[in-house]
Amino acid sequence: MLPVLAIVLTAALVSVSIYSESQWSMREYDRALREVVSLPSIAIGTNYEGTRNPLIEVFVRSMYDVPGGYDYIVSSSFIDTPTRLRDFRETIPGFNFTAVKG
Amino acid sequence: MRTAVILITFLVATTMISAVLFTKDGLEREAELSVQSAPDLTLQYLKGGRVEPINASYISLISEIPGVEKVLKRTWGYAGIGKYTFVVVGLDPDGLDYSRGVITSLEDGRFLTPEDEGTGNIVIGKLLAYMLNVKVGDDIILLSESVETNKFHVVGLFSDASSIYTADMILMSLGDANKFFSMPEGQVTDLCVYVSPSENPATVASRMNSIPNLRVLDQDLLLRGYKAAYGARGGIFTTLWTILLVAVALIAFSQAIVVGHESQFEVGLLKTFGFSTLDIIEVRLAESLVIGFFATSLGMLLGFSYAAFLNAPGLVDILLGWAYLPREFRLPVYVSLQSVFSIYAVTVIPLLITTVVPAWLNAITDPELAMRRAAA
Repeated sequence: MLPVLAIVLTAALVSVSIYSESQWSMREYDRALREVVSLPSIAIGTNYEGTRNPLIEVFVRSMYDVPGGYDYIVSSSFIDTPTRLRDFRETIPGFNFTAVKG
Repeated sequence: MRTAVILITFLVATTMISAVLFTKDGLEREAELSVQSAPDLTLQYLKGGRVEPINASYISLISEIPGVEKVLKRTWGYAGIGKYTFVVVGLDPDGLDYSRGVITSLEDGRFLTPEDEGTGNIVIGKLLAYMLNVKVGDDIILLSESVETNKFHVVGLFSDASSIYTADMILMSLGDANKFFSMPEGQVTDLCVYVSPSENPATVASRMNSIPNLRVLDQDLLLRGYKAAYGARGGIFTTLWTILLVAVALIAFSQAIVVGHESQFEVGLLKTFGFSTLDIIEVRLAESLVIGFFATSLGMLLGFSYAAFLNAPGLVDILLGWAYLPREFRLPVYVSLQSVFSIYAVTVIPLLITTVVPAWLNAITDPELAMRRAAA
């Protein structure tokens, strides 16, 4: 029974994945709307008032202050500290933290 | 018992990691799509390293640069209503020419036109409509930062289809947005530059290097920023990934120990019946393949269902940190083949290795000795 189930579930998962891939490759809804509005961010809001903190403001600037941009950075650094990650500083252009970058 | 332990551990680990991974991929893809629809170049005014409103007089300067097709003004910002923050966007009447296509994602009413300039007409997202219980034709009053009341008239309501982009959005004319944010005369938040199709935006951007106090952002920079933010370096994601690896390592260790004791007898018996070392390894390999694929596939399907149909309650709050998902926001879930095979790679392959090695060690032992040791 288990081998059959393993095959069925794996086939189902691959099917879901192929379907998802095809859906995303064809996804282009509201292009006209998005082009008229011109904001690059998606609708994830913020409840965090501490975004005016000077250190976090550095992250805001690194994201060019796109709407909600700082939230992405803050949430992605929920556990770790972005400034400790060399890759973080190097891949986000304009992240002017030269004192650390050396 | 051994099979049950592996199944449960793999199920929990793969469900968690796949829900996070599929959601992260979905958010990343959505951000990509949005950035692709963004202006070719976005211009900001920098002073003391800080972003400040830009004077609209820059438009004449920018328009003269070879390759620039059109420059539009844009004023946007945040407005707090209740405990939520909404995005208010003021659109340049010159950009409302519908030349880019027909906007179809309205549930009710109409989109803004150049004639709406200064009239207080707005188009709102579903989240705001739900929270304030307003519909097309209603008036709403918003309190601005300068503690002034501003009356707006709802002329359009975005549909569910565009909620991921518009749920928290209030669209109005540029004049209304400037008034709402008390922008200094002649200044806007930033400028949107559209480049001629025959020109490379990066080349056009390089021609703006000498313009003082100007920061030029192209789509590639924005995309890199989003990808970096959503990428695997995200702390919680990395942590969950580590948990999965630790779980696999523990299972592998458990496999090595349990197999060493329990299956010595089985292996001895099989060899007595004439099974070769290779046959025994094949049997163990097949057994681990079945268990690994069953548990991992089921876990990933559960993770997908959890994220796609239930909006990943609990987990998504951790993933988004201080950000929140509007009620009408459907979590974008992207089950990429790359992610699926990555999860298989970190679960099934270690299981196979830790199964084959002890099986081989048992198989090369004298069958009588193996059975005696197992019985002891």
